[in-house]
Amino acid sequence: MSTYLVRRFLQMILVLFISAVATYALLNFAPGGPLQGLRQIQQTGRTTITEDDIARIRAYFELDLNLWVRFSRWLLGTPRGPVVIGGKEYFADLVVGCRKPIESEIIDENGKYQNVVVGCKEVVYMKDLVGRRTSNGLVRGDFGMSWRILRDRPVSDLIASRLPKTLQLIGIQTLLSLLIGIPLGIYSAVRQYSTFDYIFTTLAFMGSAMPTFFFGIVMILLFSILPKDAGWFYVPAGLSESVRNYTVPGLGEVIAGSFTDRALHLILPVAVLTIVNVAGWSRFIRASMLEVMRQDYIRTARAKGLGDKVVILKHALRNALIPFVTIVVFTLPGLFSGAIITESIFAWPGMGRLYLLALGDYDYPVAMAIFFIIAVLTVIATLLRDILYTVVDPRIRLS
Amino acid sequence: MSKNRLMLVLSLVVLASMVLAACGGPAATPATIVETVEVKVTETVIVEKDREAFSTPHPILGDLRVRQALSYCTNKSDLLASVYPLISEEARAGLVMNTFIPTSHWAYAGDANITIYPFDPAKGAALLDEAGWTLAEGANFRTNANGDELSLKFTTTTAAFRQTWAAIWEAQMADCGVRVVRLHAPASWWFGDTTGIARRDYELGAFAWVGQADPGGQTLYACDQIPHPNNGWEGQNAMGWCNEAASSNIKLANNTLVKDERIAAYTVTQAEFTKDVPSIPLFNRTDTFAYNAALTGFAPLPGESYYNYNVADWAVEGSDTIVVGFTQEPASLFTLVEDAFVANLAYTFIRPLQTTSLNYDFQAVLVKQLPTLENGGTTNNDVEVKEGDMVVDAAGEVVALAAGVKVKNAAGEEVEFTGGTVMMKQLVSKFELIDGLTWEDGTPVSSADLELGKNIACDPASGATSFITCEKTASAEFLADGVGYVQTWIPGVQDPLYFIPVWPIYPAHVLGTVPAADWATNPLVAETPLSYGPYKLVEWVKGEKMVFAANEHWVGGAPKTPNIIIQFITAESAEALLINGDIDILDSTTLVGLSEALVAAETEGKIKTLINPSATWEHIDISLFIR
Repeated sequence: MSTYLVRRFLQMILVLFISAVATYALLNFAPGGPLQGLRQIQQTGRTTITEDDIARIRAYFELDLNLWVRFSRWLLGTPRGPVVIGGKEYFADLVVGCRKPIESEIIDENGKYQNVVVGCKEVVYMKDLVGRRTSNGLVRGDFGMSWRILRDRPVSDLIASRLPKTLQLIGIQTLLSLLIGIPLGIYSAVRQYSTFDYIFTTLAFMGSAMPTFFFGIVMILLFSILPKDAGWFYVPAGLSESVRNYTVPGLGEVIAGSFTDRALHLILPVAVLTIVNVAGWSRFIRASMLEVMRQDYIRTARAKGLGDKVVILKHALRNALIPFVTIVVFTLPGLFSGAIITESIFAWPGMGRLYLLALGDYDYPVAMAIFFIIAVLTVIATLLRDILYTVVDPRIRLS
Repeated sequence: MSKNRLMLVLSLVVLASMVLAACGGPAATPATIVETVEVKVTETVIVEKDREAFSTPHPILGDLRVRQALSYCTNKSDLLASVYPLISEEARAGLVMNTFIPTSHWAYAGDANITIYPFDPAKGAALLDEAGWTLAEGANFRTNANGDELSLKFTTTTAAFRQTWAAIWEAQMADCGVRVVRLHAPASWWFGDTTGIARRDYELGAFAWVGQADPGGQTLYACDQIPHPNNGWEGQNAMGWCNEAASSNIKLANNTLVKDERIAAYTVTQAEFTKDVPSIPLFNRTDTFAYNAALTGFAPLPGESYYNYNVADWAVEGSDTIVVGFTQEPASLFTLVEDAFVANLAYTFIRPLQTTSLNYDFQAVLVKQLPTLENGGTTNNDVEVKEGDMVVDAAGEVVALAAGVKVKNAAGEEVEFTGGTVMMKQLVSKFELIDGLTWEDGTPVSSADLELGKNIACDPASGATSFITCEKTASAEFLADGVGYVQTWIPGVQDPLYFIPVWPIYPAHVLGTVPAADWATNPLVAETPLSYGPYKLVEWVKGEKMVFAANEHWVGGAPKTPNIIIQFITAESAEALLINGDIDILDSTTLVGLSEALVAAETEGKIKTLINPSATWEHIDISLFIR
């Protein structure tokens, strides 16, 4: 087991490194970026952006450094200048980037004009990195500074401001989904082809098929806007809490920011996510249970005269849950990444919205941090899944 | 192409790494990435520039009659109806654009002085016939004597808004026998630095300009602003329109300081513009606001994007709090480096505008007056300059005066400096803040605060984007006997907006010793700046809200509503939150137009809506030359 864990741990490091390289490269090669539009500003007359301005802004975002140098500074927090050994500096004159690139125009194969970098007017040496701001590196838990969303302030602050809301939302909905989905799936399997099973199956398909954005809007209309208009009990349409007190029929005045206020705001987004999840998970449990219920050992258990309850809960359920572990364990990355669409519909200030914002605003340090944390959680979840297999199925041995 | 391949390979690597993670199998080596990057570098090929580019008139659009016909065949009201179906016909009429300046603007030439092309397909058809593009019996599209079809490529973005009106325009052109082939390109290409409009890569191209209180226009309509391979694609006159009268007048309008002269020059330019039809102005977009029906004092006006200019007058009966919905959170309140609209809007609650531009004109707010030449607040002196002095040359660049540099002398003539001295114009303006302006901690605003503003704005370490104002400043003397400064520009600066204050106000007693490099990260700058406005920022919960409370030291007295909250919402939730009463105001950055839900809520008396002509206006540019 320990050999297995060591091997897996090394594999995880390799996988994470590849993920880091790939996500970093993807974002850096993607069109757009913080310099987008600078040339257009340059031409608008009143605000003039000079070559020096562009060079300064490029340096501010480290875009004047070679990709490998940038990547290394992001991942490891180094290089920060020449290597000093015994008081002597090494690699001080190593070229690590270009402050002012020389661009030339080409006509590509489609006859379109393209600007390409053909040289460098002013290079950046290793010694120029001394004193430049940089993160301590991802490996030390420093995700650097946000470029746009929380300009010039730590990405970790930004994540810390959104993570509790996402944990709250996803945590509660996962718990509810398990508490509702598993019993429903079991009951539906045990009462296969019953009226309940037909109704439940229909609803489950509807829940799975309905797009979250549509479902969310329908829920807002049915449980917030229309009942409020009618003077009935209603729940808030969005946000995580109110900024001023309000009155809910049947509940009285709700104080903004109180526990009741926050609980009421959780109802709709949690309901949407839970219903969608329950629909899928319960179907999975149902299918898994049906599979297990046909096994010989279940027949044997019944033949031994065991009661239905014991057969289902002790013999069938435990085996039916084995494949379900693979699904549940992957909610771990979801706890961090949030639910993009649901958070948007209910204006929930969580990680999903942050992720979307980071990509839309070219805030690459934030996007890369989220990517990387999700990758870490995914590999951890994978390992966890494998370990859990051995717990729920004694036949499996890790070696 | 190689970029696409690179993206594909990288995407596959990401997927592969995830699969490996899931399977626990052996991981791929990173060698592929290194290999791919090398491909990109070695592909660089340099070819000669096409020096003969854009000298041939467009075979179809080079004919004025065709351009006029396209204008007559355009039903702007129907285009508006397609994108704003819920606004009245009367409101639509107010949004139609006939030239490059909106009708309510001080620089608008007036209907009598421009050529207006009302929707008149018969007239359009007659002009096309006259130009040799005739419609054969039974044919859908016109052809010329050679049998060539009248077909034009129309390029614009993929935005749903433009797809909608472009489809209607395509049909309108088809009714006149003109085939329009629509190409909806990604905005990144269409507005790219080296693609689309920037490279004049279109026949008919639609996009929007943003109008301002000062209409500018020199880079758009002057003959020397036509982007071309030979001038490094400088300028924004991508139509290739060169009309000497228009060109000289747009330059005059942009460089004279006398308002009446500016109006006259803009009038000539607009007359020529509408006569030559290098572009078809279509319509103003709308600025749509929706707000709590009980809200009073809320009065956004065209020309001033900061609709909270009068926030102290806002009130909701029976409520001590007004909630404004923002779909974007400010990244920082250090607006010197963070220029997003929402950041400036939030900033305006605590540090109001020094001037406003309501209805496209200028008003003094925190300054005692706009120092104009007419009221004596500004003087335009003749000064003697010599070699080595910093000046603005005839092209508008800041340069050290040296032999060969062309400048405008005091008489307004362009002369080449050959040595000795030359007389040039130099603007000197005195800006004085209103009395009683006080920081929220009770410290009076002083000239030192303005001096700090200048020092930070001109320090490259602050992270500011442009320093052109600093470079054009000869000196700024801060008043000892008042709160203000005397701004002296370097010789040659003849900016029509010389009367607009230039330096921000920062609290020297709090931030005077903080190095410029630390400002962007300093919480007192970026997150909780001290207020001298009607409200002070008391709390900023990231991702959720900004809470403002009345500033008891505000010179204008207590605002009508004690608390303002900016609530960060999403576009998807915005209308529901307004209709449900969770927020009180939705602005035009959230609302792209009226929706049926808003109209219904207004009918029920829950909310009110307001539609102003936006500063942004749609137009179709016509490429007059081909490569």
